[in-house]
Amino acid sequence: MTNSAVAVAVDGLRVIRGGREVLRSVSFDVPRGSVTGLLGPSGCGKTTLMRAIVGVQIVAGGTVTVLGQPAGDPLLRDKIGYATQNAAVYADLTVTECLTYFASVLRVDDPAADARRVIADVDLTDHAGKLVGNLSGGQRGRASLAVALLGTPELLVLDEPTVGLDPVLRDDLWTLFHRIAERGTTLLVSSHVMDEAARCDRLLLMREGVLLADDTPEGLRAHTEQSDLEQAFLRLVRESEAAA
Amino acid sequence: MLTSIRAELIKQTRRPANWLLLAIAAVLTLTFAYAIPYAGLSSGPSGAPGSGRGLPSMLPEAFVGNALGGVPIFVGALALVFGVLVAGSEYGFQTWKTVLAQRPSRFTAYGSKLAVVAIANLIGVLTLFAAAAGGSAAVAALEGAPMNWPSAGDIVLGMGVGWLVMTMWGACGALLGIAFRSVALPIGLGLVWMLAIQNLLASIAAPALEFVGELQKVLPGPNTGALAAAMGAASETPGVDALVGSGHATIVVAGYLVAFCALGGWLMHRRDIL
Repeated sequence: MTNSAVAVAVDGLRVIRGGREVLRSVSFDVPRGSVTGLLGPSGCGKTTLMRAIVGVQIVAGGTVTVLGQPAGDPLLRDKIGYATQNAAVYADLTVTECLTYFASVLRVDDPAADARRVIADVDLTDHAGKLVGNLSGGQRGRASLAVALLGTPELLVLDEPTVGLDPVLRDDLWTLFHRIAERGTTLLVSSHVMDEAARCDRLLLMREGVLLADDTPEGLRAHTEQSDLEQAFLRLVRESEAAA
Repeated sequence: MLTSIRAELIKQTRRPANWLLLAIAAVLTLTFAYAIPYAGLSSGPSGAPGSGRGLPSMLPEAFVGNALGGVPIFVGALALVFGVLVAGSEYGFQTWKTVLAQRPSRFTAYGSKLAVVAIANLIGVLTLFAAAAGGSAAVAALEGAPMNWPSAGDIVLGMGVGWLVMTMWGACGALLGIAFRSVALPIGLGLVWMLAIQNLLASIAAPALEFVGELQKVLPGPNTGALAAAMGAASETPGVDALVGSGHATIVVAGYLVAFCALGGWLMHRRDIL
């Protein structure tokens, strides 16, 4: 894989938080224009890995290269959209005010128009004038996701964006993710729900700070000889435990 | 930086809590500088602090001191609350990482917050002066007294003093918000310091212990009180005391402003964003 074909390159990444090694020598590449799923149980290090890619995590070792620059480089700031696991939006502002603020910070040409666009993308147009604090949990999560869609990011890092959403909305969002990827944007989407794995172009499976697999869904099924991706993940876990 | 300041400023104007703080500051200033002293004037001195100040202290000539009378205590406390809300609420809403993952650097994001604190406090001091001017004009009209206003230089100087003190407390609030990564605890600790500990030090510890008396000369609260006193705030107002000269007080308060800003910036730069 050439460098221009790689959006994210992680090599030997180690992160220590609270005296515990949360990521243990993690290495992988994320191809440009793909929807890559980062899957694993809660607490396996997915969020920490995403924070390291976005550049807001202090790392103990290894390198993270994003769009050809070291993670956290100022040149990357308007090229990455990041939606955190917990909704990170202002509860005391309306959806429109909140999105317009973030669009202004991002210095898009027309903040109000861009805010309207992303509000429509996440299906919140009917709630645009409501205070974020008065939205349901799922709606608040979508408002947070909309922040990441502002501007024209080359890389979208989305931490469990579909948690708490109903199946129809989850399906809509996955359709949106693939539509965005077709425009050339790279998406890294985390989830602890294995049935979302099949919707990804590539999969990164993690457990206890270690990367168990970096493969396509088809490759993973073939490698583990399992048709169900959840069973494939369990097979990998048992293999890694046996190897240890 | 200008884009971030503009965005931050617009965001803060959308927040009802900020306008509430401003309204409380203006109402309290009018209440304690005019309404209560005027009521005491018409009913005769009761012996309570401020009740026997007399008509001249409420006329336009003295409005600069009246506008600044509450700045060392309750207006300063409200400025501190505002500073905490501006910086600390980003932790409560978990939005620092969202902001910092966008274009602005930590320096720009933090600098825009400090700039908004400074701009908002300028609006605050203009509001206090307008309220005090209105109050003094009303008293003069009611009593048929002459409308002799201070010189423009004195008014501008008074506004500068008010802005310096309020911005210093606002920067202190921002620092506390960043240090404790929250809103409630910094507000609680800041108010305990400003409204309780400062008064205990001045009224109990300083008369009993010489070194506390000397320490008072380098603490922020007593120096803000000295600045207000130098601008004509009534000496019986809580927190107002000409403990040191205005030059000394200005240097100390400006020093704290710079120190609070620098320490907050250092913490922002140094620590992981949760």
